[in-house]
Amino acid sequence: MTSAREVSSLQGESTFTDRQRSLSSEVPVECLDYAYIEKCNDVKYLEKILRVLRSGDEGFYPHLIQFCEDHLEKLDPKNRALRKATPVATASSLSKDEWSQIVDELTTWQEETKHAETLLKQQPPCDDVMKEIPSIRNSNCSISLNKNSNTAERRKSSKRVIPRDYREWDKFDVENECKRIDGNMNHSQPAASKIKGISQIKTEVDTSLLTQQEKLVMANREKDKGNEAFRANDYEEAISYYSRSLSIIPTVAAYNNRAQAAIKLNQWQNAMTDCHSVLQLEPGNVKALLRRATIHKHMGQVQQAAKGLREVLKMEPHNVSATELLSEIEKECQPEQQKQGKKIIIQEVEEEKDENTEKKTEAFLVEPSQPVGGEERSAAPAERGNMGNAQKKPNGKGDLGQHNDSSSSHTKHPWSKGANADKYKVSTQESKEKVANGTNQRGSTASAHADQGSSGNQTQAGGTVNLDAPCGALPPPLARLKNEGNLLFKNGQFSDALEKYSQAIQGYNDSGIDSPDDLCVLYSNRAACYLKDGNSQECIQDCTKALELQPFSLKPLLRRAMAYDSLERYQKAYVDYKTVLQIDASVQAAHDSVNRITRVLIDQDGTEWREKLPEIPLVPLSAQQHRREEPPSADVLQARAEKAARDAERKAEVRFAALKQEGNDFVKKSQYQDAVGKYSECLKLKPEDCAIYTNRALCYLKLDMFNKAKQDCDAALKLEPTNKKAFYRRALANKGLKDYLASSSDLQEVLQLDPNVQEAEKELEEVTVLLRQSLANNSQGKPRKTVPITEVDDDDEEIPAVPDSADTYRSEEITINLHPSNSYEFGQSLNAAHSGGSTAVCADLLTFTAPENLPQYLSTQLDGLTLSFIVKVLDTHLLKKKPDLVYQHLNHLHKADRFSISMMLLDKDGRQHISHLFEHLLNTESTQFTQSDVQNLANKYI
Amino acid sequence: MSTPLSKPQMIVHIQKSLNYTVFDSKWIPCSAKFVCMGNFARGTGVMQIYEVQRGDALLIKEVEKPKPIKCATFGATSIQQRHMCGLFLISYNDRWTSFGFFMTGHAFNEQDRCVCAGYDNGDIKLFDLRNMSVRWETNIKNGVCCVEFDRKDIDMNKLVATSLEGKFHVFDLRTQHPTKGFASVCEKAHKSTIWQVKHLPQNREIFMTAGGAGNLHLWKYEYPRQRCKKESNGVEVGVAGTVNLLQNVTVSTQPIASLDWNTDKRGLFLCSGFDQTVRVLIVTKLNLV
Repeated sequence: MTSAREVSSLQGESTFTDRQRSLSSEVPVECLDYAYIEKCNDVKYLEKILRVLRSGDEGFYPHLIQFCEDHLEKLDPKNRALRKATPVATASSLSKDEWSQIVDELTTWQEETKHAETLLKQQPPCDDVMKEIPSIRNSNCSISLNKNSNTAERRKSSKRVIPRDYREWDKFDVENECKRIDGNMNHSQPAASKIKGISQIKTEVDTSLLTQQEKLVMANREKDKGNEAFRANDYEEAISYYSRSLSIIPTVAAYNNRAQAAIKLNQWQNAMTDCHSVLQLEPGNVKALLRRATIHKHMGQVQQAAKGLREVLKMEPHNVSATELLSEIEKECQPEQQKQGKKIIIQEVEEEKDENTEKKTEAFLVEPSQPVGGEERSAAPAERGNMGNAQKKPNGKGDLGQHNDSSSSHTKHPWSKGANADKYKVSTQESKEKVANGTNQRGSTASAHADQGSSGNQTQAGGTVNLDAPCGALPPPLARLKNEGNLLFKNGQFSDALEKYSQAIQGYNDSGIDSPDDLCVLYSNRAACYLKDGNSQECIQDCTKALELQPFSLKPLLRRAMAYDSLERYQKAYVDYKTVLQIDASVQAAHDSVNRITRVLIDQDGTEWREKLPEIPLVPLSAQQHRREEPPSADVLQARAEKAARDAERKAEVRFAALKQEGNDFVKKSQYQDAVGKYSECLKLKPEDCAIYTNRALCYLKLDMFNKAKQDCDAALKLEPTNKKAFYRRALANKGLKDYLASSSDLQEVLQLDPNVQEAEKELEEVTVLLRQSLANNSQGKPRKTVPITEVDDDDEEIPAVPDSADTYRSEEITINLHPSNSYEFGQSLNAAHSGGSTAVCADLLTFTAPENLPQYLSTQLDGLTLSFIVKVLDTHLLKKKPDLVYQHLNHLHKADRFSISMMLLDKDGRQHISHLFEHLLNTESTQFTQSDVQNLANKYI
Repeated sequence: MSTPLSKPQMIVHIQKSLNYTVFDSKWIPCSAKFVCMGNFARGTGVMQIYEVQRGDALLIKEVEKPKPIKCATFGATSIQQRHMCGLFLISYNDRWTSFGFFMTGHAFNEQDRCVCAGYDNGDIKLFDLRNMSVRWETNIKNGVCCVEFDRKDIDMNKLVATSLEGKFHVFDLRTQHPTKGFASVCEKAHKSTIWQVKHLPQNREIFMTAGGAGNLHLWKYEYPRQRCKKESNGVEVGVAGTVNLLQNVTVSTQPIASLDWNTDKRGLFLCSGFDQTVRVLIVTKLNLV
């Protein structure tokens, strides 16, 4: 035992000393020292030191190890010695915010994918798509055709390669052969093969076989490829991928990115066109504006560049790159710039401001403006009542106390209370909420400033402006905010005024007052501020809100019109101006603008510009000039109640229209489930709208819910007994329910109402066949062919047209598809015609085929027999009728893939046919080709 | 990269123990579901479909087959077809015969079609299927475990090949020198075999390697300033870039045999190993890299 222990200890010692020796031979102990390590700049040596330290042979010094690591990292941050395997991060290793963000993202992703998946499942499965894809094996017909060529191949392959005789090696001259190989090598050595397929990358993608969703995915994929290439500084490649993406679905992002890539390659013209395309799709796109400015700058159009940049800065005042570029440009051409200080002129409208004061005098002359303190006190309790449920009680108490003891800052408190309330409320109001919250916090301090400065302001304004003057039904603090906003606006401090109005709107929303008029005025005023600031987008939003509250009020309409105008959306601007003129024909600015825009639109869209306009709403008589005639202050309350009722009605109307529009849009995007939801909501608002029923029926049809579709059609027919659309859709629903009898009677109904509906006729034919079949064998259900139903139109009062692609030809028992859409279908048709020996059918097929598609359709299926058959058909059937077409076909035929081989395989008859054809062609006269053209072409064939 | 907090972090989202040896796991395109396949101890094959739901994976389908299932691909299916389950399954007889010989495809268009193969003697060969010829070959001295092109649907760009001894090579395939071939950079990553390499679908410069010691390394390839230069005799030669380690973690003690990025959600990936566990991990801050 003892000896064994000794041995083991000895062994242990020896291994220890071995290792120590090996390491210490490299790193002496003196080096394991702070001072030495600090001075050492040799990375390799430091690595060794670190290894020794980590091994623990010289003792364990955690701090020294850390120090050594830090020093090494300073010298070589990516050193491998520093790599440490770490455990997987968990919730504790991340900050709380980050963790919750990650979890949130994942859950949203899960929901989104689930949603997307259900959508995918709803789509009719790939039957339609599969149909179009050529099958892997060829059809039966082609086999008989290919027989000859097969034998030809066999004949060739029967020539066996006989192995060389051994004696031949005697004659083999090694040196000569070596020389020959060397020579070849020198010769064949390429000058570095650059694997560059960029020029080969097709910039167009054939997407005819894809569904919308797949296209979207594909377009995104191509764009991502472009982005990756862009990041790798491979701009040309990036451009080709962006082009591919655009050829599938044009998107703003892809245009924008292609513009950027073109800029990198200094292709200014291309970049410019891309920027324009973006701006056409999305007029306010900051990136595109910025890029356009860059291009302008490089093309030497400095003024335009500067103008573009100012536009950008108006939209995003803190855009760094725009500011930099602008200052650069300004430095470049200071003198010119000063002359050219041109701005986009926003036309001033008179009485921009007095809407509020006007209102005030209209409605509230009765109420005398009270002394400040008193008014506040009377208002405070009411205010508190409003906020009571949203606010914590102790807070309220504190606030009240403050009210009482400081009268100078009184207006501030109810407001800041508003901000508090905001936090406690679970509000689902608008996305603005967040921003508003921020501004509130600032607002409380800002309004304190305003309060202090208000006395000064008042004296400046000559004491005529009373900031606490009441406004409409607004509580005093809000009224004060509004008045402050008005004052600031008058003084030209638009952004400050904007803030005040935003606060007022926020306060209004929080307080829960029901006075749409006042909110409308607030929105309208804020819109004015946005307009002055050049922020047309926001202006439009605010105006639209104001108009939702108060349809056909003059000022928001006018402002929106101007905003559209400045965004160059002339059609919308035109509509708004026209509406303004309906309300009050005396607005000169609107007249002028209408005239101007008319000219622009005619330039843009030609003489039919009116047809492209959106519908101009009819202004009800009550709204025309209504503000002028309204008796001031008589029965304000009653009038308001009436107005509220009217508003509710109008709101319902607007909502109805919006829902319907949304529904239609969903249908267009093939999201039928969502569309059904929208339409159902519509019907809740207005259960007697026939169009909605028919539209919903369409959606149900698409979703294969035939029962419901039928119910909807029934409802529609109850409302409108002669609605042919409803009949047609009920027929389809019946067909889906396999009730062919009802279906056919419905279709006959349609045809009675309108005999010109081709779809119905076709459907009827089909249904009759089905009916007969179902009668014949009741037990067996034949798989139905899905019939495409096209989408609803905007006015959704049109029977959808079934695309006319399935035109079939029936004669001599040969049924072929005369409109092939791919090479497979073409081949089928051609083979059918050929094997049937029917040249007439083939002639028809060739007539309907575009010559430029011919090579593509023929692709690999061309052989000698087919070629001679085509030539024969061209010669016998088409030459007399359509010599131009024959020429075109011949002109394209020789571009087919296997043309040269087919020519080789051509038999005597075929060659004769060709020479005959060309003789005839030479004798025909045409405007499309000359004799020399034919001669040239003939050389390719003979 | 400067502070540890700005680095991408890898977090285990779901960890699921299985009662069979899992050989391959794949996301089902356009869904929050994945497929795991492998073999039971009793020698039969198994395929399971799980759905990710609130931090857990729920089993929604299980199929048992007479033969073990080695791997599968959705590569040949369209978005719609996958609902009919266009899954191509490969059963196998002996894992170790297929080991060391992994192939991967590249097909850009009809003009250009290449397949790359790695062999257990360290050979890497690039076959040109168009001309039926070997376009390029090299030897990386160690058995090749896995080769992958950074993208399959673009012009050949990069190729990563991993080896038995824990090294991997990145080849820049854009410029081929007549004698020197493709430029490459080599990095020693793991102390054990690198079983898998997979490129991030959202960024072709980022890829993950999975090692035999259950560790995952996330890398980023940085291009050089000029991707090719002219030699004195006018022949162009490629220039290799550098590879940076973004993050490395250890998730298991057993080899990670399969790895699959989710194509829809950036940073989400699935890995399974011989510890009979499938894990869903997420990499954060990939957009900042």
